[in-house]
Parts: sequence; C-alpha cells; structure tokens
Amino acid sequence: MIKKELQLRVNGGLFKLEVFPSTVLLDVLRDELGLTGTKRGCETGYCGCCTVLLGGKAIHSCSILAFRAKDHEILTIEGLEKDGKLHPLQKAFMDRGASQCGYCSPGMILSGKALLDSNPNPSEAEVRRALSGNLCRCTGYLPIIEAVLSVAQEGGRP
Amino acid sequence: MSNGAIVGQSLPLVDGVEKVTGRGVYGVDVRAAGMLFARILRSPCAHARILHIDASAAEKIPGVHAVVTCNDLPDRRVGLALKDEYVLARDKVRYIGEAVAAVAAVDLDTADEALKAIRVEYEEITPVFDAREALREDAPRIHEELAHYQQSSYLTRFIRPIPDSNVASHIKLRKGDIAAGFRLADVVLEDTFYCPRIHHCYMEPHAVLAQYTPDKITVWSNGQRPFDIRTYMADLFGLPMSKVRVINTMIGGGFGGKITAKLEPIAVALSRKSQRPVKLVLTRQEEFQGFGGAHSAWVKIKSGATSDGKLTAREMEVTWDAGAYADLGVSVALLAGVVGASGPYRIPNLKLDSYLVYTNKVNPTALRGMGMQQVAWAVESQTDLLAEKLGMDPVEFRMRNALEEGDRSATGEILESVSVRECLKKVADAMQWGKRPKAANQGRAICVWHKFSAAATTSSAAIKINADGSVTLLTGSSEIGQGSKTVLSQIAAEELGVSLEEVSVISGDTDATPFDHGSFSSRVTHHTGNAVRFAALDAKSQLLNLAAEMMQPMEVTAEALELKGHRVFVRALPETGLPLAEVALAAQLRGKPVLGKGSFRGQGSHRLDPETGQSSEPAASEWIYIAQGAEIEVDPETGVIRVLKLVGAYDCGKAINPLAVRGQILGGVMMGVGLSLYEEMTYEDGQIVNPTFMDYLIPTAAEAPPIEVMLVENPHPLGPYGAKGVGEASIVLIPCAIGNAFYNATGVRIRELPLSPDRVLEGLGAKGQASSR
Repeated sequence: MIKKELQLRVNGGLFKLEVFPSTVLLDVLRDELGLTGTKRGCETGYCGCCTVLLGGKAIHSCSILAFRAKDHEILTIEGLEKDGKLHPLQKAFMDRGASQCGYCSPGMILSGKALLDSNPNPSEAEVRRALSGNLCRCTGYLPIIEAVLSVAQEGGRP
Repeated sequence: MSNGAIVGQSLPLVDGVEKVTGRGVYGVDVRAAGMLFARILRSPCAHARILHIDASAAEKIPGVHAVVTCNDLPDRRVGLALKDEYVLARDKVRYIGEAVAAVAAVDLDTADEALKAIRVEYEEITPVFDAREALREDAPRIHEELAHYQQSSYLTRFIRPIPDSNVASHIKLRKGDIAAGFRLADVVLEDTFYCPRIHHCYMEPHAVLAQYTPDKITVWSNGQRPFDIRTYMADLFGLPMSKVRVINTMIGGGFGGKITAKLEPIAVALSRKSQRPVKLVLTRQEEFQGFGGAHSAWVKIKSGATSDGKLTAREMEVTWDAGAYADLGVSVALLAGVVGASGPYRIPNLKLDSYLVYTNKVNPTALRGMGMQQVAWAVESQTDLLAEKLGMDPVEFRMRNALEEGDRSATGEILESVSVRECLKKVADAMQWGKRPKAANQGRAICVWHKFSAAATTSSAAIKINADGSVTLLTGSSEIGQGSKTVLSQIAAEELGVSLEEVSVISGDTDATPFDHGSFSSRVTHHTGNAVRFAALDAKSQLLNLAAEMMQPMEVTAEALELKGHRVFVRALPETGLPLAEVALAAQLRGKPVLGKGSFRGQGSHRLDPETGQSSEPAASEWIYIAQGAEIEVDPETGVIRVLKLVGAYDCGKAINPLAVRGQILGGVMMGVGLSLYEEMTYEDGQIVNPTFMDYLIPTAAEAPPIEVMLVENPHPLGPYGAKGVGEASIVLIPCAIGNAFYNATGVRIRELPLSPDRVLEGLGAKGQASSR
C-alpha cells in the first residue's frame, strides 16, 4: 500500500497530507495533525470519545476513512474556542460539573454542539438521544444533560 | 459546619479548561522523540504449562526493536499484596489473555506482525473457572507453590492463604455466641445471592510511556498510585528509588482499575532492551481480557431476629472469585468480606467467613465500592425479606437495628460520626415513605449501608509560597477525575488567604512531590486534604513569624496575627498589617523562603486477630454512612425495569466542594445502575465473550434516571473541616435498592444480578406458574 495525497479542511485551516487509503480520520487528526483532543476509547465506534463534526454532523472519527472526509469541513474540539474565549458549551461543562476525568468531554461537547446547531431548543429527551452515542463513566450523565440544556436555554449559540 | 470563603463552595475544576478544550495531555497523548510502539502477546490457554518460547523470527522482522519474555525480567514473582504473579508468564499461564511476551516496533502494524511470529508451545492443564468448584478438594491447583509465596510489606495487609488449596486468603470473624444468637431469634432466614463481575470501563485505556537510560527510569503513567509504581519498578529493576521517576499524565478515569501496574514493567523492559522510549496503550478488547473488573461473589447469608425486630445473629460465607492472581482481592476479601460485611447494624453475634478463591480467569482488582456492593446486595436484600417475615416496615426494621454513635463495629472498633438513622430518615422523608399510593407494577425500597477508607495509609504535601504570595502545592496523589486537584487547592487557598486562581498544583510526580499512598479507597480528601491543610498551616506560621519580625518595633507576636484576603494583619487591629506579597518577597530576600510541609496518617490498622477478627485498633480510617431509595416500574410484557427515581442521603462529613461531591455520587450511582440492570463480564470456558462496548453495555445518557442527591454533613473529628471520603459509597446500594423495589412491585425475588429482562421474565413466569397451580 502506498500513501496518497489528501487535503483536509480542519478547524478552518487547509492541510495537505500524505496518507494511506486505509487510515481512519481519528489517526490522521491525532498522529498527523497533533490534534490529540480527539480521543480513542474503543475500536468499535461505540464510546464516542473520538467524536468530531463532519459538515456539522457528529461522527465517530475512528469509524470513517480519512479520505471520506476530504470534501467536508471538519471541526475538532481544538476549533471550538473563538478568540481565546471558551464556547458556551465548554463553559457550561465546567460550571455544571459535566467534566470529571474529562476524557469524554471533547466528544460530548461536540455532540452537544451538533444538536444545538440543528435544533437550538431541544427537549431533554432530544438532548439525551443526541448524547447517547457518547459514553461517560464519571458523571452519571445528568450534569452533561444539564449543561447542554442550560446553553440551549440561554440561546448560547456562537 | 459553616463554609469558608473557598472551602464549602461549588467551584469549577481547576483543571477544567484543559479538559473541555482537549488540551490536557492524557496517557494516550504523551509522546517522546524516537518512541516505539508496543504490543503484548497474550495466552490463548486458560491453564497451561509453557514448554518453549521462540521469539527469534519476530526479532528479525524489519522495524522490530525488541521482543521481551520472562527471560528479560528477573526470575521473581510480584504482586501488590501476595507475590504470586510474574510480569510476563514463566512456566505456566493461568488465564486466557495473560501476558506472555511483548514487542516494541516502529509502528503498531509491525508490532502486530511480530506478535504472530512468536512461537509459544503450551501443554494444557485442566482449568477451573467457577470459584465454588475451585474450592473442592479435587479441583486442579492453580498455584502449586501457594504456601511459599511471599507477602509484600509495602502497605499493611492481612492475608491468610490456605496451603495446598485454591484459597488465596481466608479471613474470619467470630463475635459473641452464634448458636445462642440464633436460638434467641423468632425468625431465621437463609439465602444465597450472586453478584457478577463488572468492568471499570474507564474511558481512557491503560497507557504508559517508558524511557530507560542507564541513569534513570522515567515512566509516564495514568496509574492511580505513582509512588507504588516507583517502589515496584525500583525493586524489580534493582535501582534506588531516586533513579526511578513516575509521572502522572492526566488520567481518563480509574475507579480502582488503574492501581495495579501491569503495563509499566513491560514497557520499561522493552525500553531497556531497545534503548528507545516505548509507548504501550491497551485496546478496549485488551482492557476486558487483561483486567478483570470487580470480584464476582457468592454470598451465603443466614440472619435471625426477634419478633420485635431486633437482629440477634448473622452468619455469612462470601466466596470471591479471585481470578488467577490475588492482587487487591486480598483487600476486598478483608474489607468487604469481613470488616464491613454485616452492614451498619448492631448484631451481637456474628460468624463471617470470607474466601478469596483462585480460578482460571483474569484477576479482578479494586473497583469503586471495593466489594461492598456485592455483600450489600445480599445483606440488604435479606433485610427486606426479614422485615416482611416479621410483618414490619423495612425502614422501621432498619432503624431499630441501626448503629449509633459510640457503638462498636464488627471488629470491635468504637464508632464516631455515625449517621445511619439520619440518612435513613432523610431518604424516607424525601420519598414520603408509606404516605404515597403506588401504581400497578411500581415498587419502592430504601436501603442503608456504610463504607470506609482503608486504615493506616499516609499522605504528605508541600506548599511553596512564591515571592508574589502565590501558592504552589505539591501532592503525590493522583487526579483521576474525582476533583482532587480542585479540592486540595481550595484547602490551600482557604488557609493562606489567597484566591483559587493563585494556587497551582503539581500532582503525582515521584521526583517532585512528597510521598502519598495515592488515589484509592476514597482516601484523598480526608488524608491528603489533611496533609495539605497542615502544610498550609506550616507555611502560614512561617509567614506570620516573618511578618511579626517585619512589623518591629511594634511588639506583636505571630499568634496575634491573621492571614486573610492577601494581607497579614493584627487580629485586634485589622487596619494594621502588611500585604501578603510584601511578606512573601521579604521571605525570599531574607533567605527564608517559605516551604510548608504537612502529613497525615489515617488511623488504625488491618491486623485483625486471625481467629476472631477482633482488633484493639480501628479497622478503618473513617466510616461514612449512606441511605438509598429507589422507585421502579416493571413492564411485565418485556421484563424491562425502568428506574423512575433514585434518591439518596450520603454523609460526607463536610462537602469541601459540593459540586464535586455531587458529581462523585452521581457517577457512582450510575455505575450501580449498570451493575443492577445491564452489566456482566460473561465467560465461556474462560474466554470473555463480551469484550467490546457493542456487547458489554454500560448506561448511556438515554437511560440515566433522575437522581436526587442529599448531602449529610456529620463532621468527622479527624477530617479536614470534618470531611470524610465519599467517592465510592454511592455505587453500593443501587442493586439492592432496585432489587427490593422490584420485589415490592412484583413479589418476585431475584437473587442474581443483573436484573436483566430475561431474568425478570423468568422470575415473573415462575411466579405466574406457581399462582396458577
């Protein structure tokens, strides 16, 4: 197998890379671009720690080939702060105790953002559904659900 | 207890920004120039002799820098308590997934290819997988040399192996006259309950980066006890402790599962052989194969009570499945199997036997709750059965037998800061117990329990006051998500009159921070919290003495001075004083830089009388008490139990950060929901069959029930501001509370967890058949 040229648009920047066709997006983000905020928690696409937004949709970056991502805007957790200011979801996660060990937080926050971007006033049930692809073992989920709902109620879209 | 300016406040995590921005460097993220990537070869056999290992073909593969086997490590058994295990298997393998060899290569694909090229010749031996079968006289012996194994002296433990058996430890307790106790009883019940293995499922897998040079071993680890790991590495590789540095990365959850350092010595051996830094990260499947979660337990329990609802006697036999190696099972067998097994009740006559039994499966280890949920599942289920038999309200029955201040524990310790009744009452009131009608298929229950931090552990801390008055706090404890960096910073800031933002924490670095036993047993707030507070008071005393000197010719002693709000001032004349920064700068310029130190050792010991289990010392550092209510609804068609509400009261002594305390409790409760309804590590012939998140289901946001957390603050005389460790307790009562609520709803008693739809339908079906006969 040989590496092929790939251009990815990540967090507003354009990156030219040489990548094996079999490489998943997660590995490119972490190993090639050094964006280690995107985490690996399993190999089966079930934990959600590797969630990124692809064209605004939350996806598991461990389960998609990097080449499949080439025509879309990719947003990782590193792209969420604006001018050194935390995104309202990041702030709400801190204020509500929605991060403990923090390992699931990047994925959770991005799943929350994907929901609020498409549905600014979700019900609690919709929040729960949107977050159900992201596992957390620390928080019992309730502070995370509270954090996402609080941002929705404050109309806190960037 | 009243709140301070900072202690008692719900403040966000001091390391929260690192976490929500993804900037934090976890074990999986840490890198070194020229590092290699490692993989482990694991045993396909549950029980076999190793006849031959040939790694020569693997070593020849381009890109492979090192292959290690047992021959690259000293011929010595290791173990946190009982030294019964080799880092890499030697002579024998005892479970499927046991590490046999490891490879370091330029990338993971090459390492994987090399694993396939290692030839291992096994001769299979009859295995035994069930702990009850392993107890039989004719069961295959898993450790033939058990009688000769050494015990680790590092942390006081109490281990009683039975030679020529599979029993790694048998702990006993005899109190009063058990036969007489049962003769006094009007009602006697005997039951057997089973609690399965569940996995920790920390989101971040185990990850280690090891760098071996002839001068020094440096290990970046996401382990929960860095000083333990240092002792272990220094001992194994024959170096002074000063030549081993263990540095905690950020840690993506632990829950007890990152105490045992299974990976660190392998990574160090690979680094020594390859002369390159080596990174070793487990896959999720390896987490399930190489780490055994919590100990499953069979609990036989017999209890007697008088017709007026007084417990007279309790006999318990707990059989813990140790898996292939004792590890922290010896502590579970002692602490949950004996010290806390009989529950927070006054019971004059006790007979307890706790057996830790080897089987041919991967060994479990410490897991949040440390065995208490397994025994509470039995005790508190039977408590409801006894109350029913006595025709008594189950809350009233518990109240009548509850431990009170000054009572003695099972091991004879005089108890202080006891709040069993207070917790029970709070939950009963919140649920309007006995006052609300319930709908069909709905049920309610309230259970009560106790939990404690291990006795005789030590913490120390250091505090540096910088020239501007800001504070650098050094602690050897590990931040595993429980919020220790935040809580410890709050204590330092409170005592030193600075803001939280001015405190910086270095934690879990064995070269930089003072000794700490680490983050386990809910011990950090109570123990390290005390150490930090004493270090802060030491630093403060140095500052005040210097300030008194600086305020001459005014005649003022350090005792007359106060430090608050960035100022040192005369307590009686608050306007007279100096800015903290001025004193701090003077300290440096006058050659008296402020370095405060503090330490704390939890009380007691785990040395019980081998025959009676009694002790003249406390067996716990501090006890905490909890009550848990559950309301459930069962769908008789599908067998699905829906948790309508969980409401609990938890005595934390003092909530230094109520937001963090609530967070700890919610997390424990949800893990308890998983154990109650969904989770079980399932084995077929010693092979785990659900080693992925596709097959092993933990609760998601979709299933999270409403949880009401009520904090009780009954201060402990030895705690910092009265605080007691509350991190683990909330998992303990969820299974029995849900199980009792299910019984309340249906009249069906299920004695094995989890309460899956299959088991529920089976139970309902059996009842239906019985009533239609």
